[in-house]
Amino acid sequence: MRDLKGEFRTRYAVNAILMFAFTTLIAVSFSIGSYRIVEAQKPFLNAVLLWIILVFSALSGLSRSFVREEESGTMDILKLSARPQAVFLGKLFFNLTLLGALEIIIVPSFVLLMGYEIKLPVCFWAMIISAGLGLGAGTTLVAAMIAQASARGALFSALSFPLLLPLMITAIKGCERAALGLDAAGWPEVRIAVAYVVIMMVMSIFLFPLIWEE
Amino acid sequence: MRTICKILLVLWMCFIIVAAFRLAEPARGFPGQTSRILFFHVPQAWVATLSFFLSMIGSVIFLSKRGPRADHLALAAAELGFVFCLLATLTGSIFAKCTWGAYWNWDPRETSIVILLMIYGAYFALRSSVADPEKKKVFAAVYSLLAFVTVPFLVFIVPRITVSLHPEDTMNPAKPGMDPVTLKIFLGSLLSYTGLYIWMLRLRMRVLFLEYLNEPVHPFGKQK
Repeated sequence: MRDLKGEFRTRYAVNAILMFAFTTLIAVSFSIGSYRIVEAQKPFLNAVLLWIILVFSALSGLSRSFVREEESGTMDILKLSARPQAVFLGKLFFNLTLLGALEIIIVPSFVLLMGYEIKLPVCFWAMIISAGLGLGAGTTLVAAMIAQASARGALFSALSFPLLLPLMITAIKGCERAALGLDAAGWPEVRIAVAYVVIMMVMSIFLFPLIWEE
Repeated sequence: MRTICKILLVLWMCFIIVAAFRLAEPARGFPGQTSRILFFHVPQAWVATLSFFLSMIGSVIFLSKRGPRADHLALAAAELGFVFCLLATLTGSIFAKCTWGAYWNWDPRETSIVILLMIYGAYFALRSSVADPEKKKVFAAVYSLLAFVTVPFLVFIVPRITVSLHPEDTMNPAKPGMDPVTLKIFLGSLLSYTGLYIWMLRLRMRVLFLEYLNEPVHPFGKQK
């Protein structure tokens, strides 16, 4: 919670991520527009573009959560005063809030600007939300590591991207399916994303104390 | 004894190479001689898998016991696995050009091997950018474990989403239908590649250990 307050005061990460996402969205929308893609290709290509925008915006700003502690020199105090699990869950919650804000703003704008017709909106949003949770769960531990390394920004993307790629492929498939209106029983892609979230969270909570106490 | 083993291994590898080209019949259903890739590409992929698995085990042991040897195992196995994985990618790519018509076409197998290479590329990048030697080892081990849990998603989920062109049935040694001579040479090749790998791994671990002994500062004093 403390992080949220601090973030509202500076709004550094929120601004950075949102502006990055908006710039990309506008570049995509301006250069491609809603009529350049053939109607039959839309469900797939739009899902690809949307997820490229979301994943790379997230990679541009999510490392802030721990880097800020390191930069402001509060890392050591935090290590002394709080249990590692509490710190990790706090940072995870903060990252997830950030991702939630990103998705709530970017996804509707994308749908409007690109003329993205979605046949199953509920399935689509379930996919967006579950994959958003996955983005947060997969990157928070990496953010904690790179905060203590050099060449942070580039390293964060390099380390996170391979971990996120399976999730991204799944999310693209899921959004394509939702846009096409193929109602497969039980939304398989959403389930895969949820499994990813659970596995990554459990692993992170186990592994976080190891890197925190170093 | 070890010298004899090494000489035997070299002779055995020479025999396998000759046998792969002279004794085995090309498998049915593949253009020309392309099926001979079986004797080299599959063992390379197997050794890469084995190596990444060893690297993961080294990471787990390191995180629980914090011995230097476990970290050396994790690093050496990751490096060798990366080399063999690159070799498997290259040979597979040549095979793809000969049979499917393009060096690269994002077949599910190709996708997952690229992600694997990216993961270990990131692993080396992480190792080189953390200054503190103890921290570096812990971080590398943690990242290796974190990456390992995403592998099932790649291996089991990605190939099911799209159809793979990778030959499975006609060339899978576990299934009947493989020529017995081919099978023998294939198993021999597997053996020789594994032997070569163990040799390389031991060498690399010895080098790492010597480097470790020569490090100027030791937090726990010199061991051994």
